[in-house]
Amino acid sequence: MRQPISPAISRRGFLVITGSAAAAAGLPKLASAQTAPPAAIPGKERLIVRSPRPINLEARLADLTSYHTPEGVFFVRNNYDLPAIDAAGWSVKVEGEVDQPLVLRLDDLRKLPAVAHDVTLECAGNGRSFHRPRASGIQWEHGAVGTARWKGVRLADVLAMARPRAGAAHVAFDGADKAPTPQAPDFVRSVPLWKAVEAHTMLAVEMNGQPIPQLHGGPVRVVVPGFVGSASIKWLERIAVRTEEFDGAFMARSYRAPRAEDDKETYSLQSLEVKSLVIGPADGARLPAGKVTVWGWAWSGEGELTGLDVSTDGGQTWKPGRFAGRWDRYSWRKWEYDWDAAAGAHVVMARATDSLGRIQPSTRARNPLGYRWNVIHSVKVDVA
Amino acid sequence: MIALGVVVPVRSEPLPPTPGWQLVVGRCVPCHSLEIAVQQRQGPKGWAEIVDRMIKYGAPIPPEDRGRILEYLLLHFRDPDGA
Repeated sequence: MRQPISPAISRRGFLVITGSAAAAAGLPKLASAQTAPPAAIPGKERLIVRSPRPINLEARLADLTSYHTPEGVFFVRNNYDLPAIDAAGWSVKVEGEVDQPLVLRLDDLRKLPAVAHDVTLECAGNGRSFHRPRASGIQWEHGAVGTARWKGVRLADVLAMARPRAGAAHVAFDGADKAPTPQAPDFVRSVPLWKAVEAHTMLAVEMNGQPIPQLHGGPVRVVVPGFVGSASIKWLERIAVRTEEFDGAFMARSYRAPRAEDDKETYSLQSLEVKSLVIGPADGARLPAGKVTVWGWAWSGEGELTGLDVSTDGGQTWKPGRFAGRWDRYSWRKWEYDWDAAAGAHVVMARATDSLGRIQPSTRARNPLGYRWNVIHSVKVDVA
Repeated sequence: MIALGVVVPVRSEPLPPTPGWQLVVGRCVPCHSLEIAVQQRQGPKGWAEIVDRMIKYGAPIPPEDRGRILEYLLLHFRDPDGA
């Protein structure tokens, strides 16, 4: 029987290659064309699959309706495959520029003071798909962001036990995830010591009241609030205190961008950008004329939000919105704006400002790896 | 019956069936799903950088396949504004 030239692919399904097509692809010859589609990732069916392997899942804006993002709509970002970790056997090594290298187990963490913070994690590449010319990497739109209540211990308390030496200036984190080949770089990143010992930086064991799921880095992950998500290393197994910034590929090549538009030099990404999203109304919504409360989320990494302005005329005029509801030092904040919507087509926009003097731009200079996207978000609305 | 040897979740549209598609499958999916590759849009320099980095990272791409893989990717996943 002649085999099809194109691979037969079912939605979320397995690649079906048989017979001579398989031989041509250098793949094992298969006896049968029949396969079953893989199960959807349990509990994550609402997310957009940016890739099944490694698993990268993006939230739809319409699902980001609550302050704490439920697990079912919390984005998932991975550079590599998930490791399988036995929580009971978990431990972390603390080594490097310390007087007292340590191995800590979960019981040791339980002896330290417990802390809990609401922290918004955002992928450095959130918004990458909007860069022009196009940037390489996962083509996130707006939904690589989520907020959870993280519970654990202060990293500062762990480091204090190890007694960093006078020359210590950076802290590197290594998780249990492994590259698919020996040549690909291990996923290791470092943060400056000032950030590692900051009171909100933690080794987390719980996410929204539950032990951290495997997909989100359990049993223990780092949470570095206000920094790009990749600082918050999952499946933590080693902490290395260093005199210099870590120099592996995920510090020296990727997660880097220029500071200003014409800069040739790049820096290793740390703080998130000031940013906001319009959640209601949704892009493309049709609304009746009259009063409507426009709303969304805003956040700002190391800055603190100082304002959120709203435009309903495509950016010609701006009025201040208000912040509403609970927030934490490094969490997003809900914003609202009461709009008396007149009939017609409108472009609704939100623009956040922060205490570092940052304001969302209307354009972003492209950087080749597509980071730092925080361009003003706009949604088109038709009012009847 | 489950496929033997290689079982890979893949994108929901077929790869365009022009010459080289099998190479893209065979050389790329041992490490990651096709979605990683086919969501990119790059120009010739951009695709070459990516493929060469993949080779450096251990992708099973013998030198004789590099050119055909690049041709295929550029034909179907090109950014007209990309270098």
